Amino acid sequence: MLALSQVSLFSLAGVSCNSVEQKIYVELNNMVPCVRLLNATHQIGCQSSISGDVGVIHVLESEANLEWVLSTGPNPPYMVILESALFTRSIMMKLKNGTGRVAGAAVVVSKTNPAEGFSPHTKCPNENTGVYSESYDPTMAHCNVTVWNPLGNGLSYEEFDFPIFSLNDDNDTEAIRQCYLGYNLGVNGSTPEYPLCAMQLFSHMHAVTDTATCMRRNDINFSINPEMVCDPLGDYNVWGSTKPLNNTAKGHKEGESMVIAATRLDSRSFFWDVAPGAESAVSGFVTLLAAAHALHNVTQEAHPPRTILYTFFQGEAFDYIGSSRMVYEMDHKQFAIDLDNVHSVVEIGQVGLRSSSELWVHSDPVSRRNNSINAEVSSLIDTLKSAAMNLNVTMSVPSFSQPLPPSSFQRFLRARPIPGVVIADHQSAFSNRYYESIYDKAANLNLTYPANLTEDEQLEFVTETANALADLATVVARALYKQAGGADAQLINIKAEPKIVTQMLYGFLVRSNNTWFQALVPPEFKNFLSKLECHYYVGVSQTPSHARTPTRLVQYLLANLTGTTINITKENCHNSLIIKPSSLPQLYSYVWVQGVASPNSTERQGFCVRSSVRLSKAVSPAFDLLQEYSSKDYSTWTESRWKFIKARIFLVASHDLEVNPLHFLALDSCLPAQCLASSQIQSARRRYFTKHNQKMILITAIKVMLFSW
Amino acid sequence: MNLERLPNEEKLSLCRKYYLGGFAFLPFLWLVNVVWFFREAFVKPAYTEQLQIKTYVKRSALGLLLWVAVLTTWITIFQHFRAEWGEVADYLSFTIPLGIP
Repeated sequence: MLALSQVSLFSLAGVSCNSVEQKIYVELNNMVPCVRLLNATHQIGCQSSISGDVGVIHVLESEANLEWVLSTGPNPPYMVILESALFTRSIMMKLKNGTGRVAGAAVVVSKTNPAEGFSPHTKCPNENTGVYSESYDPTMAHCNVTVWNPLGNGLSYEEFDFPIFSLNDDNDTEAIRQCYLGYNLGVNGSTPEYPLCAMQLFSHMHAVTDTATCMRRNDINFSINPEMVCDPLGDYNVWGSTKPLNNTAKGHKEGESMVIAATRLDSRSFFWDVAPGAESAVSGFVTLLAAAHALHNVTQEAHPPRTILYTFFQGEAFDYIGSSRMVYEMDHKQFAIDLDNVHSVVEIGQVGLRSSSELWVHSDPVSRRNNSINAEVSSLIDTLKSAAMNLNVTMSVPSFSQPLPPSSFQRFLRARPIPGVVIADHQSAFSNRYYESIYDKAANLNLTYPANLTEDEQLEFVTETANALADLATVVARALYKQAGGADAQLINIKAEPKIVTQMLYGFLVRSNNTWFQALVPPEFKNFLSKLECHYYVGVSQTPSHARTPTRLVQYLLANLTGTTINITKENCHNSLIIKPSSLPQLYSYVWVQGVASPNSTERQGFCVRSSVRLSKAVSPAFDLLQEYSSKDYSTWTESRWKFIKARIFLVASHDLEVNPLHFLALDSCLPAQCLASSQIQSARRRYFTKHNQKMILITAIKVMLFSW
Repeated sequence: MNLERLPNEEKLSLCRKYYLGGFAFLPFLWLVNVVWFFREAFVKPAYTEQLQIKTYVKRSALGLLLWVAVLTTWITIFQHFRAEWGEVADYLSFTIPLGIP
């Protein structure tokens, strides 16, 4: 506060305070907060006070060192700096109960993944919104049979009343460490003396209690300053089909029997908007994209009796936002097809980590008690097994009766029993030891490139992971074709290309701004491609032109891989209604893409791609359709709003000095550099502190204190 | 307004106006009455209108005390229970604090 009053004095004098501010505070960049999320019953995440939380920095050495922070340290509150090895549930729970002595925490993210695994998600993901409930089958509810994520410590779902940030920049970490070593360690084991190095974290969240409260406060009209406090999570699903569907005619389509090939697009972590999701999301949708590409030619020449519908669901990490919305729309005649049109479902789960080339096919034992469903599922499993012959893939069935892993297919089963399977690389518990965490990156998939390759060479280099996923994509494509009733003779022509798979893996996991992606996206989208990897957090719902970058990338990729180029101009491509009279059904979507750049030139030959790929809204039905904000059946996740988020470090003076600057003037304690004799002090005091002067000093001090608040 | 220069009848009519005005849910008029006319009613030597002014001041003080009691009780109850009342409290509030229940 003394620092702030200095700042305000200078600003009153008319001098710009920026230079003084920079001398006092060191702003920390690249710090990612943990934000508050709310659902029907709880609030999770972190909250800071409205003017930021200030604490003396303490770099934690071990769990036993927590004693300093929680009881013995003489200068509470403390801001705890944790190495990633110390970011465990037991330490965080002890900090949570620290009541007033803990001002916040900052986690230093290490470059290498922790060896023992780390997953802040729960042990049983989405346990209340899947199909396994007490009414469906009590023995299988709440992961009684198999705990899917045994390494889960549930930190993402805890509520903290102090801010927690993650430190990603090495320079910042070094600055903090230097500051700590310079000021906060006492000399020869004595207690450290003021001034001390402190950190201030701002991440004040507006929403509170639960979704119903925050949505109600969004809508209040007659308050003095109406403010939005939270937004529902959501984005868009991507879907496409092998045969174009009339999208304006909603509801049941006569004669259509569809095989749905589903996967998920999103992931999450403890911190906001950081979700590398390599194994949990990218492995699945890259496989499905490759399978769709493999099926493209065959389905054009010899279309099978049933249509294959590719669906990429967004928001699945938060109680199945995308799939619950699509199933709701199918059930209520708001989608191009309805549930009677669905023949079967094949879902691709986490498939990136298969060891010994074995993949597992999961099915739902409860719906298989019905004989016809059981027959369908058995034949689907046989189709998958036979499609895997002669390839480097083995499809096995778990040896014991086990529920489905957390998957979008569970939402279809909630509506009605449908035959379907989920393909995954784990027989029971996840092989992914970093499920929904910041460590689920390319290294988790063993995606390594040889050294000394340029970016373009890395883009083209076919890694082992790419080969494995391409094999799986071939198997899935062939199985889908056979399941859709296609002829066996055509199966040999269906093959996924490892080159396409490795380019996709590079683009989604290493660097999205590469030449291949740039050729496939429209000109207005090219600025969204970055030189870092994508993050797959679902975020808050916006208009279709502002859908999340990964969603739009998948949309354009699917359009290019399953669509055809048609020879029309750019204007006609945008105004697709001109191409045909509006009386004909809306079968296709059109997108104008940039195309490749000709060598030695920046000119690009764009072209129009016609495909059946569309976006469908992925916001939970609890929000816009039903307005039941306390729903138990649908996802009710919302994200709080905030004004600004920042972090800074500075030197803080003792509390006495902050509260009473006049006390300082009284010169009771000598400053080491200017220690006057006490008699001189007395006479100086008498001369200075006349009645008039005292009054002026008091008034100035009060003005300063008022301004500094 | 300087009461010294007013004739006594005008003082009485002013006091009465403020007293009657306070019944229109304006307790501050009663506060003004009490503060302004306290000297006139109780300290100054007696004059004809002083008895009337005295009753007006006493009644204004009574009304003021009643209002203070009611408002204090309501404010205490509302501040304490606003978080628990949920929906009702939100509809009664003009500004709802951000980030705290």
